Amino acid sequence: MRDAYVIGAGQTPFGTMPDESYRSLFSAALETAVDSVPYGLERDDIDEAVIGSLGVGGRQLGLSGPAATEHAGLHGIPSSRIENACAASGYSVRQAVQAVKSGMADVALAGGVEIMTDMSSDVTKYWLGVSGETEWERLTGTTFAGVYAQMASTYLDQYEATQEHLSMVAVKNHENGAKNPKAHLGFECSLDDAVGAPTVADPLNLYHCCPTSDGAAAVLIASEDVVDEYTDDPIRVAGVGAASERVGLFQRDDYTGIASSKKAGEQAYDEAGITPDDVDFAEIHDCFAIAELLAYEDLGFCERGEAHQLLEDGVTELDGELPVNASGGLKSKGHPIGATGAGQVAEAFKQLSGKAGDRQIDDPQYGLTHNVGGSGGAAVVHVLEREVAQ
Amino acid sequence: MTDVSIAAVGAYAPRLRIDADEIADAWGQFQASGIERKAVPEADEDALTMAVEAAERALAAAGRDGSAVTHLALGTTTPPMAEEDLTARLASMLGAPEDVTTRTVTGSTRASAQALDAALDAGPWGDEVALVIASDCPRGEPDSERGHAAGAGAAAFVLEADGPGTIVDRASHVEPYPGTRFRTTGDDETTGLGVTQYDRDAFTTTLGGATSDLEEPLDVDAAAVQSPDGKLPYRATDALGVSVTEISAAETVSTLGDTGAASVFLSAATAFEEGAERLLIAAYGSGAGANALLIDGAVPVATSLEGDTDLSYAEYLRRRGEITSDEPEGGGAYVSVPSWQRTISQRHRLVAGRCPNCNGLNFPPDGACYDCNEVPDEYETVELSGTGTVEAVTQIEQGGAPPEFVEQQSKSGAFVSAVVAFDGPDGEQTVSAPTQVLIGGDEVVDVGDDVETTIRRIYTQEDVIRYGFKAQLTGAKR
Repeated sequence: MRDAYVIGAGQTPFGTMPDESYRSLFSAALETAVDSVPYGLERDDIDEAVIGSLGVGGRQLGLSGPAATEHAGLHGIPSSRIENACAASGYSVRQAVQAVKSGMADVALAGGVEIMTDMSSDVTKYWLGVSGETEWERLTGTTFAGVYAQMASTYLDQYEATQEHLSMVAVKNHENGAKNPKAHLGFECSLDDAVGAPTVADPLNLYHCCPTSDGAAAVLIASEDVVDEYTDDPIRVAGVGAASERVGLFQRDDYTGIASSKKAGEQAYDEAGITPDDVDFAEIHDCFAIAELLAYEDLGFCERGEAHQLLEDGVTELDGELPVNASGGLKSKGHPIGATGAGQVAEAFKQLSGKAGDRQIDDPQYGLTHNVGGSGGAAVVHVLEREVAQ
Repeated sequence: MTDVSIAAVGAYAPRLRIDADEIADAWGQFQASGIERKAVPEADEDALTMAVEAAERALAAAGRDGSAVTHLALGTTTPPMAEEDLTARLASMLGAPEDVTTRTVTGSTRASAQALDAALDAGPWGDEVALVIASDCPRGEPDSERGHAAGAGAAAFVLEADGPGTIVDRASHVEPYPGTRFRTTGDDETTGLGVTQYDRDAFTTTLGGATSDLEEPLDVDAAAVQSPDGKLPYRATDALGVSVTEISAAETVSTLGDTGAASVFLSAATAFEEGAERLLIAAYGSGAGANALLIDGAVPVATSLEGDTDLSYAEYLRRRGEITSDEPEGGGAYVSVPSWQRTISQRHRLVAGRCPNCNGLNFPPDGACYDCNEVPDEYETVELSGTGTVEAVTQIEQGGAPPEFVEQQSKSGAFVSAVVAFDGPDGEQTVSAPTQVLIGGDEVVDVGDDVETTIRRIYTQEDVIRYGFKAQLTGAKR
């Protein structure tokens, strides 16, 4: 199959945007993506669109793909919505890559959008946690934070990591997010703040949980046949991996890792022909602090039970050996569910293009994005590569 | 008389308690005489869940299980639903066969005595047994005598052909006395006109009428007398022909409060536990009527009547839903009643499935096997005992509950949600399921703790109460 390249990507600010609709946000994200294409791109060039969204709040639950693309001036192209909870737009990127690689499209748009902050508190309660296993998990009263807290309880019981290591994730990601003008919670926090926050679901406190955000992101994927029309600095989609796992935590063999992340990572490394050691930076799905620790291990950055050591040694800080969540991650940049995965790819595109501003990582070649749906029911990993002139 | 006798008795009261002093502090006085403390149902308890608690203890004391029950009767003044046969769910929770004969008696505090009386006429049942359960949690206006008195509890009698407790004699008596204690249709609070002497007359006249019809000499060790408060039963000593000592030997009202239709059953359980070998049951129901039963013999008993968690008055009001909010409006996740119904054997009795291909245990037994990923035509049905070990656990703090659990959290505060590895029947394999873990006192739930299940309300939606298992720390079952 032919190669696929990211030729442009962008996102709206993530945060609380009472003046925006899901359609206006999506249009704005598309505009930033189009603007980022070095030689420019006519909207007519886009052959297909795949939009990730959970549909929080209901809104346009049916046909929300076409409803978003028509508003953005992409009239008449095949457009569909993909739902995979928080991994929706990671999967929309994968879908766009498939369309391009298969030859069905030369340029495909992968987007994602979510509005989460304009609902009454009652309606919000209903929509949060709809991606947990409903019949048994949710209907024992378990929230989304609760499921990750359960994983954390087992992990902390089994390994050496402590609650303070969870707080270190928050400190690191807020430090990075403070350098990202598009971050929802773009401020620094001290370890004392992060340790002393009120408990949400023991052992997780408020600083171990990401916010709910409004936002949209868009990624433009082009085939090797047309990529030269758009850029001289192509970012190759070197590896794609995706996997599913049982939706309910109780149905799994292991609560201290996410099998779908591990599988998706292995597939992506395999296709890219690299090992975890080759990764220069990663955008990781840190919806809850424990998720970042588990991902270090699932993605092979360290052995099982040793994630806290990477934090202690500063390996995953912005100036460390393997910066993780330079954007601020879900914790600081924000988490508009359907937009998160595409937003991660937009960050990786920026970093690999050398346009990440104050949070720019020094000369990266391989960037990894890791997007998880629910508590691991779906995961998708992309390895992006800045092609170095031979 | 009857060929049916009593095999065993079981009794249960919620672990929550409030002192009369707390209520006196709030209102300037405590209006219910002779009550020092009383039991308070947890937000997820009601007459049905307490009935199961009592029934399981009674069956255990009789050395039987639910499959032996061929006649099942429930007496209560507070059925959780005004219309809908609760005994179908009760039978399911207890594992009684589907051809069990069931009766619900309600309408007055002698409902359970009426149910017992009817069961004695219905048997004997060969090797099988009858289960007559009294369970009640009356309510009154918070500033009323009945509100102050209102307690909670349940007790169950297992009846069989040749049990240790012989029914020596029994009688009933009715005389019209309207207005002493009543609840209008659609209301959930019991009231009365409070005509003191009239109320006493109704009580003593009907009870006296029933006991005077007994032909056998009383000569009892204890008398289980209807106790709407801690004073009224003692006004009936002359009418009943028993002494203050015999009534106080069986009383529970001072520590459990007014337990309505469960009052005389709870007193009987207490008396048997204290070693009584000849007992008078004297049940009174407003309207008015009375039942008297004379029982001879030492009856095995299993009870859990002591409290271990004290409530403040504000916490008490929250538990009773006086100052709390309901389920919020919204959309999102939804499990229809038909789809809930399809899982009822899992919710009520932890019915798991064994995969015919690989022997793996599955819960719920539906879809592809967790172990081998094959989709079997049918799982082999396996009932789990309900014991297990906590694998993962969190406490959902106030304000964080899913909407279905907002009301529970508003009433009871933070709750514990866990994944429990339940023991399989072979003692080796386990199968995991999510569940709340009940906590009382200063209990903390950690990974590795042993738990066992009980039945509670899970949540209520569209006015339909969903019942299912919850776990509690082993040993907390009291």
